[in-house]
Amino acid sequence: MKKTVDVSIPLGPMNPCWKEPLRLKCETAGERVIRTEVELGYMKKGIERIMRGRPWQEVMFLAERVCGICSVVHNMVFIEAMEEISEITIPPRAAYLRVIANELDRIASHLIANFSYCYTIEHETLAMYLLNTRETVLDNLERLTGSRINTAYMIPGGVRFDLLPEDAAAMLADLAWVEEEMKRHVRIFETGPLIALRSRGIGVMTREEAILAHTVGPTARASGVPDCDLRLRHPTYRELGFEQVTRTEGDNFARIMVRFQEIFQSIDLIRRCVDTLPEGPIRGGGFCKAGETTYSGEAPRGELTYHIKTDEYGRVLDIAIRTPSIMNVEACAHSMIKDATSIADVTSTFISSDPCIACNER
Amino acid sequence: MRSIIYYIREFLRPEWLKKFFFAKTAPLVTPPYFKDYPSLTGKECTGCFSCMMICPAPGGIEVLRQKDRWEPEIYPGHCIRCGLCVEACPEDVLTSGRVLDVTRHDRTAFRSWYHLEVDNTLCMRCGNCCVSCPINKQEDPQLGATGTSSSDEVIMRIEDGRVQILHEEKCTGCKTCETNCPNQAIRVARMVEGVHEEVEA
Repeated sequence: MKKTVDVSIPLGPMNPCWKEPLRLKCETAGERVIRTEVELGYMKKGIERIMRGRPWQEVMFLAERVCGICSVVHNMVFIEAMEEISEITIPPRAAYLRVIANELDRIASHLIANFSYCYTIEHETLAMYLLNTRETVLDNLERLTGSRINTAYMIPGGVRFDLLPEDAAAMLADLAWVEEEMKRHVRIFETGPLIALRSRGIGVMTREEAILAHTVGPTARASGVPDCDLRLRHPTYRELGFEQVTRTEGDNFARIMVRFQEIFQSIDLIRRCVDTLPEGPIRGGGFCKAGETTYSGEAPRGELTYHIKTDEYGRVLDIAIRTPSIMNVEACAHSMIKDATSIADVTSTFISSDPCIACNER
Repeated sequence: MRSIIYYIREFLRPEWLKKFFFAKTAPLVTPPYFKDYPSLTGKECTGCFSCMMICPAPGGIEVLRQKDRWEPEIYPGHCIRCGLCVEACPEDVLTSGRVLDVTRHDRTAFRSWYHLEVDNTLCMRCGNCCVSCPINKQEDPQLGATGTSSSDEVIMRIEDGRVQILHEEKCTGCKTCETNCPNQAIRVARMVEGVHEEVEA
C-alpha cells in the first residue's frame, strides 16, 4: 500500500513559475492539497508614503510605477480621481484617446498573463507566440504615447499627445495583424488536447465562492459573476456600447479564455474609438483643488480603487490604493487550489488567476 | 495522434517555413517615436525654470548659468524620460524624440502658478533657501550669505531671524529652495494645468 505522508510544501518566494516573490504554503496529503496559505510582504515599496505631499505631476509618475504591467490604468484611475475632486471635465477627444491607451495596455497585460499561464503548463511555443504579439501592441502604445510601459499619458483635463491620422492608420493595420494572430493562438489554446488536460475542470471556483471572496476582474467573470466590470459604469465605455464578457465554467480554461475574449473586445473598442474619434482639443485645462474621494476603475485584473485626499494646492495629503490582485490571490488560495490533485496544478491555477504582487504590496 | 497532427499543421504553414529557412532579424533601428533623454536644440534658454518646475524626478534637470547664458543640463541617471520638460519649455530649448514636434502640432502647453510656505516649527533660519534661489540672486546680487538682504525686490529674505516671503508672484517653482532646505521646512506648491491653445482663443 502506498504510504501517505502529510507534508507542508512551500512554494516560493523564489519559484521559477512566479514572476514576483510570494510564498504559498500548501498542506498536502500525498499530492492532494488540503489547505493553502498565502504569505505576502517580500517586496513592499512604500510608494503611498512617497506620494504624500506631492502635486499630481509627480504622483502621476509614482502611481504608474505601482505596477509594471498595468501601468496605464493606474495613471488613468489616479487622474480621474483627481478630476472628480476638482470637478474637471475632459474634452470628448481626450476621453476617447484615454480609452485607446487603456485598451492597448489591457491587451498587453492580458497577453502577458496568458503567456505566464502557457509557460507554467509548459506550452512554451504558444507562450512565445503570445509574447511576440505583445511586442506589436507595445509598439503601438509607444507610437501613441512615446513610451512602452510607463507612459504618463493622461493629465488632469486631458491627455498629453494627440493621435496623428497616419499613426492611427498604422495602429489599425497593426491591430488587424494582432487580431489575425490572436485568432490562430486562441484556436491553438481552445482545441489543444494537452492544454485541455491541464486546464479544463482544474482549479474550479464556483460563482458563490467567487462572490463570497469578492473576486474581481477576469477571475470573477470566468466564474459567471454578472455585472462586475467597472467599464460598464464608465461614461466613455458606455458611449462605445461596452458589454461584459462572462463565462460560467470557473476553471483555469475559462479564466484564460475570458482574457482572450477581452483582447478581441479591446481591439474592437480601439477600432470603434479610432473610427468615431471626435474632433476638438485634447486638453481642457483646470487646476486641482482640495477634496477627498474614492474612485474605482477597471484594471486588467479587476477593480482598482484609489482613495485620495488633497489640500487646496492640489497636493496629495493622503492616499490609499486597493489593487485587484489582493482579493484574487486570497480567493485563489482558498477556493481554487483547495482539493487540487497535484502540486503541478497549484502553480498553474495560481498563475491563471493573474496575480500581481507588485500591485498588492505597492 | 491529434496533437501530432496539430504540430504538423502548425509547422507546415508556408509562412512559418519561410520564416524558418529565411529567418533574418530585422536591423535594430530606433523608431522615430522613441522618447530619448532630452537634448538641446541650440535655441537660447531664457532661464524661466519651467523645466525644473515640472520635472517629476528628483535631480533630473538643472538650469545652470554658463558664462553668458543659461543652459539646462539633464542628468541621465536621474531623468526618467517622461518628456514633460520638453512640453513645458516655452522657448523650445529641449527636444526628445517626437515630443517637441507633436506638442507644436497639437499646440498644447502647461500653465502654472506657485505658492510658497514655510513651516516655522521645522525652519532653523539657516537662510539656505534665500541664498540658493536663482531669482533672489538676480534681484539682489549683494544678497548676504545668511539670506539677509537690503532689497525689497527679492522673493524671500531672512528678517528678524525668520524667513519672510515678500514676492510670491516672482517664484518660478524651480524648487531649488526645497532641495537645499536641510529640514524640508519650505515647500513650493506647484499648481499646473495642461492647456490646449484652441481653448484660450
